[in-house]
Amino acid sequence: MVYIKWAFWGIVALIVIAFLHYTLPQRDIVRISDTYEKRIDFGENSIFWAKEDTGTATGQINRDVFFIQTIRKNGKPLVFRNEDTGWGWPPYFKFDTSNLQTEASDLRSTSENPKWVMVTHYGWRVEFLTVFPNAIAVKRVDDPDMTIIPWLNIIILLVLFAIFWAIRVRWRRFRRRRIDPMMAGADESWDNLADGARARRGRASRWFASWRR
Amino acid sequence: MLSLARLFLTLFVVLTVIYVSVSLWSRQVRKRKLTREWREGETDGDDMQAFIRKGLEEYDDSFRRKLILLVYIVPVAVIAYIIYVVNYT
Repeated sequence: MVYIKWAFWGIVALIVIAFLHYTLPQRDIVRISDTYEKRIDFGENSIFWAKEDTGTATGQINRDVFFIQTIRKNGKPLVFRNEDTGWGWPPYFKFDTSNLQTEASDLRSTSENPKWVMVTHYGWRVEFLTVFPNAIAVKRVDDPDMTIIPWLNIIILLVLFAIFWAIRVRWRRFRRRRIDPMMAGADESWDNLADGARARRGRASRWFASWRR
Repeated sequence: MLSLARLFLTLFVVLTVIYVSVSLWSRQVRKRKLTREWREGETDGDDMQAFIRKGLEEYDDSFRRKLILLVYIVPVAVIAYIIYVVNYT
């Protein structure tokens, strides 16, 4: 029972961590090699795509999506999609997709003469499902080895944890005060019921046993 | 526009639930404090019912209670700020 409980809470914790890791902003320092636009037919991975541009028709089965191709400092590629999140989830309220694409195109550079760019994004790159992180902002940086302290994420996580803790403490207090006494009462009456049943079964099985001989 | 309406509706429902819960909880806390005060002897010559009623009436007009309206104001302000930062800086 204890294992089941821990497994359950472990899975819940994993889901929450994965959700936050997907949703919260991350920053990477990359070099933009090119930008392009491609039509996407949404399939199994449709949950990992954001919204059509705000104000345009909704519910299309396919549309053109902007992409930003980048190379990381270690030389590995990282491709971003560039989509409006609009008024939906995740709450980035991003409407300036076309502007961002323009900025990204403007910052293109070659490996001989790299311009380093900090890309703020959310999401994951999952090759098996053709999933791309969504770029939120690009910013030119001079020093590619700068340390990035994710202040915003620290604040958000602290606030979330504070809310979680406040509710948890109150819930536990409420349970100790109201539900535990009630359950103790229920336990007692259940025990009485079970004892009674045992006694009755005792009688019945004794009676059966008397026939078996 | 439909998605904007959906956002507002969701926000309104969720925030109203939070607002109502926080209001009830806050009043409960106030009541508990008043009871304790009365038990400790600061009765102002009232019996317990009257003392608590007076205290809660005072709370109903207080600035502290109006602060719970921040439940509505803060998220909307945060959204406005995010829109500004993401799209205009």
